[in-house]
Amino acid sequence: MRRSAYLFLAVCYVVVPLAFGGNNYLMGLVVSSLIVAGVAVAWALLGNLGGMVSFGHAAFFGVGAYASALLSMKLGVPVLLAIPLAGLIAVLFSVAMLPALRLSGPYFALAILAYAQIFRILATEMEFLTHGSGGISQIPVLPTIAGFDLSSRTGQFLLLLTLLAAFLATYDLIRRSHYGIALRAMHDSEDATRVVGVNSVLLKSWMLFVSAFMTGVIGAVNAHVINFLEPDYAFSGGWSVLPIVAAIFGGYRTVTGPAIGAVVIYLVDQLVFKALVSTGHQIILGSVLALMILFAPDGLLPLLRNALRRMRGGSHA
Amino acid sequence: MLELDHVTVRFGGLTAVQDVSLRMGSDQVVGLVGPNGAGKTTLFNVISGLVRPASGSRVLFDGRDITRLPLHRRARLGLGRSFQIPQPMHELTVRENLIVAQRFGAGRVDPQKIDRILELMELGEQAERDAANGLALQELKRLEVAKALATEPKLLLLDEVLAGLETLAKRAFMAKLRELHETLGLGILIIEHDIETISSLCHRVAVLDFGQLIADGTPGEVFSNPDVIRSYTGAESAETQHA
Ligand SMILES: Nc1ncnc2c1ncn2[C@@H]1O[C@H](COP(=O)(O)OP(=O)(O)O)[C@@H](O)[C@H]1O
Ligand SMILES: [Mg+2]
Repeated sequence: MRRSAYLFLAVCYVVVPLAFGGNNYLMGLVVSSLIVAGVAVAWALLGNLGGMVSFGHAAFFGVGAYASALLSMKLGVPVLLAIPLAGLIAVLFSVAMLPALRLSGPYFALAILAYAQIFRILATEMEFLTHGSGGISQIPVLPTIAGFDLSSRTGQFLLLLTLLAAFLATYDLIRRSHYGIALRAMHDSEDATRVVGVNSVLLKSWMLFVSAFMTGVIGAVNAHVINFLEPDYAFSGGWSVLPIVAAIFGGYRTVTGPAIGAVVIYLVDQLVFKALVSTGHQIILGSVLALMILFAPDGLLPLLRNALRRMRGGSHA
Repeated sequence: MLELDHVTVRFGGLTAVQDVSLRMGSDQVVGLVGPNGAGKTTLFNVISGLVRPASGSRVLFDGRDITRLPLHRRARLGLGRSFQIPQPMHELTVRENLIVAQRFGAGRVDPQKIDRILELMELGEQAERDAANGLALQELKRLEVAKALATEPKLLLLDEVLAGLETLAKRAFMAKLRELHETLGLGILIIEHDIETISSLCHRVAVLDFGQLIADGTPGEVFSNPDVIRSYTGAESAETQHA
């Protein structure tokens, strides 16, 4: 990840609360966009490093959400502890996905899609724990730390931005490490990589775990932001699809692209498309995505970079 | 020390390797010869773990039964191999190929050693190129050997790395292999068609024909064996046709 990305994040810390902090509606949208961004980064990490396209990240998102809600409500675990624990519980559940790692491309995608459905059904049926389709309400809000109210829109924003920065840094660190190089090698040449001593199954499993953890954590934070959960919401296919759209839009091969794509897509959809067409505004989103795939398959970020380079008259280097 | 114990490989109805038993010390240079389709590469695949042999077959390395061990574990035990059709790790540079092999195969990070391997395999200039795009066939073959060396093997399996080289280049490459054998005490099992090469490089030769081991001995013994001569003349002509 470039230094400019860190700089941009640092600027956001200060500028966004100052500029929009007074507007609860707008800040709420920004917070939601960061939720999508977190899942998009987790999704892209699994896809880009692990070489696995997932259509089922809703499963980890929902498990994280329910786990944190139940831990804090039934066991009285402090919210800020329940959130990482929820991430670990999402990892635990992702272990059940390990057999699917042996499946290639589309079969893995389908398996994980089915997996998310199973969880939605389980959450609906296990009424004693989840209150079934009636849902759970009054999930505790984010706490106040050292006089700073994390449950305010600005507090939620800062917490999520911090998580996002941590995710991006982790993703970047893995990608640059020897593990990242080996994972990149596996994409097209799995046998050649294994034969020099790389345990490909283990490395892919780790990427699944890291991705599940991140997604679970974001699902958990979201539960404490909206304070209400029902299976159809927590395990909604939207949590699987939106991050994919965002990652493709922003540039799924880059580290920061999916996060930027998520924020842009979400805000433009909510603020512009929704105003233009109140019902079915997703159609515009779909059309934009189709155009992107046709004309800029590498996504928005590489597109902008190239445009910038051309404007500066710089060479390809 | 490598030991193949009654190894058989079937692909559906085809028996590619039939009941082959073979032992070699890690201090030997052994040639594996035989006509195209004799099962030489398949035998390498069994040793390195890419192909599962039929039940009853056993592969031992340093006294340990590795028949069911996953690929990466064998590499870490000290089995290095090259592929007949080069299989560089795509999406990586030449140097990154060696970094991965060293880090995961030998379990260490030693950039200087990688530089030495690059130099030995004459890939210094190509080090930062994409392995998948920027290399000629002979460079890819040297990368195969370099990758295997980076894992710091005890036994090196080389699949036709000398094929297609001109006489001088071939001699130079053989000198390097000899040096690796002598300085590192590296065992080498090499698949090669050229009788002269085998005779000058190897202590021992094993001959496969239609998946069966038909001869095993010193080059002098083996290449005067009438069975070998018969199967071998076929191989020579087969290779000429191939070229
Ligand atoms: N994966 C495979 N599936 C089916 N048949 C195979 C496979 N690999 C090799 N064979 C067959 O096994 C026989 C031996 O092949 P191979 O070991 O490549 O021979 P060699 O290396 O001695 O030329 C050939 O008939 C080949 O077609
Ligand atoms: Mg062969």
